[in-house]
Amino acid sequence: MRAAPARTAAAVGIGALVIAALVAVAFLTPGPALPTRAQDGLTLAISVLIESLPFVILGVLLSIVVQVWVPPGAIERWMPSAPWARRAVLSLLGMLIPVCECGNVPFARGLMMRGFGVAETLTFLIAAPIVNPIVIITTHQAFGFDDGILIARLLGGYAVANLIGWLYSRHPDPDGLLTDRFRASCEVSLESAAHGGAGKGRRSLAQFVVELRAVMPALVIGSAVAGAVQVLIPRSALLAIGSNPALSIIAMIALAMIVSICSNVDAFFALSFASTFTPGSIVAFLLVGPLVDVKMLALLRTTLRTKVLAGFVVIVVLFAIAVGSVVNLLA
Amino acid sequence: MREYLSSRLLGVGLAAGLAAVTLVLWLNGQLALYINPSSNWFAVPMALIALVGTILSFALPRGAESDHGHDHGDDHDHDHDHDHEHRSGWGTAATVTGGILATGVVAAIILTPPATLSAELAMQRDTGAPPLFQGADTVALASTGDTAKFGVGEWASVFATATNPEAFDGDTITLTGFVTPTDGGFGLTRLVITHCVIDAQPARVPVVASDVPATGTWVTVTGTIRDAGGRLQIQPASVQTVDQPKDPYEY
Repeated sequence: MRAAPARTAAAVGIGALVIAALVAVAFLTPGPALPTRAQDGLTLAISVLIESLPFVILGVLLSIVVQVWVPPGAIERWMPSAPWARRAVLSLLGMLIPVCECGNVPFARGLMMRGFGVAETLTFLIAAPIVNPIVIITTHQAFGFDDGILIARLLGGYAVANLIGWLYSRHPDPDGLLTDRFRASCEVSLESAAHGGAGKGRRSLAQFVVELRAVMPALVIGSAVAGAVQVLIPRSALLAIGSNPALSIIAMIALAMIVSICSNVDAFFALSFASTFTPGSIVAFLLVGPLVDVKMLALLRTTLRTKVLAGFVVIVVLFAIAVGSVVNLLA
Repeated sequence: MREYLSSRLLGVGLAAGLAAVTLVLWLNGQLALYINPSSNWFAVPMALIALVGTILSFALPRGAESDHGHDHGDDHDHDHDHDHEHRSGWGTAATVTGGILATGVVAAIILTPPATLSAELAMQRDTGAPPLFQGADTVALASTGDTAKFGVGEWASVFATATNPEAFDGDTITLTGFVTPTDGGFGLTRLVITHCVIDAQPARVPVVASDVPATGTWVTVTGTIRDAGGRLQIQPASVQTVDQPKDPYEY
């Protein structure tokens, strides 16, 4: 199936022309201006997309690296053998890989295609956006050690990741947690890794195409929903319930799920609510936001079944309510 | 054919569309309309990688991405998957709808001219609490008198949190922002961004005026800060209508 060099060059030439045309259209923006509301929603969606696209690309590149370029056994050799210890180590992997939540999804898919277990990878996926150097720094900048918000966020994120990893590791059929589509690409990938398959360059390119196909529609739709919801639901409706200890936690969880802010900076966003909201509700916001916001759910849906995601949301929300209540009692 | 189109268009296609928009905005100096310029160093090279990857992907023969991969249609799932073959009607419908939606959104992004958030949105988001991104340092800095670089965001923090408002009485300032309605004058408002527009928060300083410009008008106010019984406000010497600045947000 090797294409002749001339044909490859021609194909790349066509590709370059198509991209040039695309850039030209983007320059000209021949479309009309939209009504204010619709334009605001679109502006918000564009900003999420432009902000997260680089992380997604980085995540895809890392996923290509772990899947195609790291030799078999190179990572596995460093892993402990007890399942709980493996999960504990993987949940700290986020410390070394500073991609925030959108980039984690393709990276985690790369880990699973490499043969890592579903529960283990879930543990990484949940912990990474919270126990991540950039997130720790920005949360510290925003809150310092006030009210234990930083500590509660880190320990809470680490704990909920290992809790969910443990729960799903008890699932009798771990592969049943995955969508068929993703399971099929795992099989293809393991097979071609075993047989050598096509050249590494070509496998990298194929992985680039496959991962973007999996992630992009979800990212676009998730961002569009996040933009639309923000225009449609007035923020004052949520904030009216700010100072009640119990309701404030629910309100901030709802806000976290709607706004879909990258976990790298959500602490600054939360800071502006700190004067009106209880510390526990801020912690709940900081725990829920990176894990189950609208955009993230759309992304996770590429890999995990709806039933698994529903369980996931329930656990995370209940956990955040528990941690938030404890913080409110102590603060 | 349909499989091939959807695999390329909805993957590298959507990514390339967004990457092209990122690149064009950067070339036009308009990327600041959407993200904080401090992350341009990351956003622009990654957009370039996406475009180069897309160009190279044209050399990948049709179907190479799923080598010998056929879908395993043995599962009687109620799972609305991103699949095409051997799928229930619902699954196919969901995939097609999702694909059309996503393509439509990206097409709209490519085709419509860049825009800023509206004054209406800023007002809707105004919760009365000023953004505190700048933290306590701002207020400390302000009391040393080093306020030359302060924008609406910094001043709004100072106005809201200064424990010694009388210290600022008599300071002269020149600030640009857009007009939002308040009692006894107008709010000089600016959206403050930490990372990207989705975290935009309005900051507002009160200007005393009887002649209030239309909501959403951009103005430059020159005036003096007055302490009105512990509440700081601006007594304007001049209010001049200006064009919307090239970087309408503060960071």
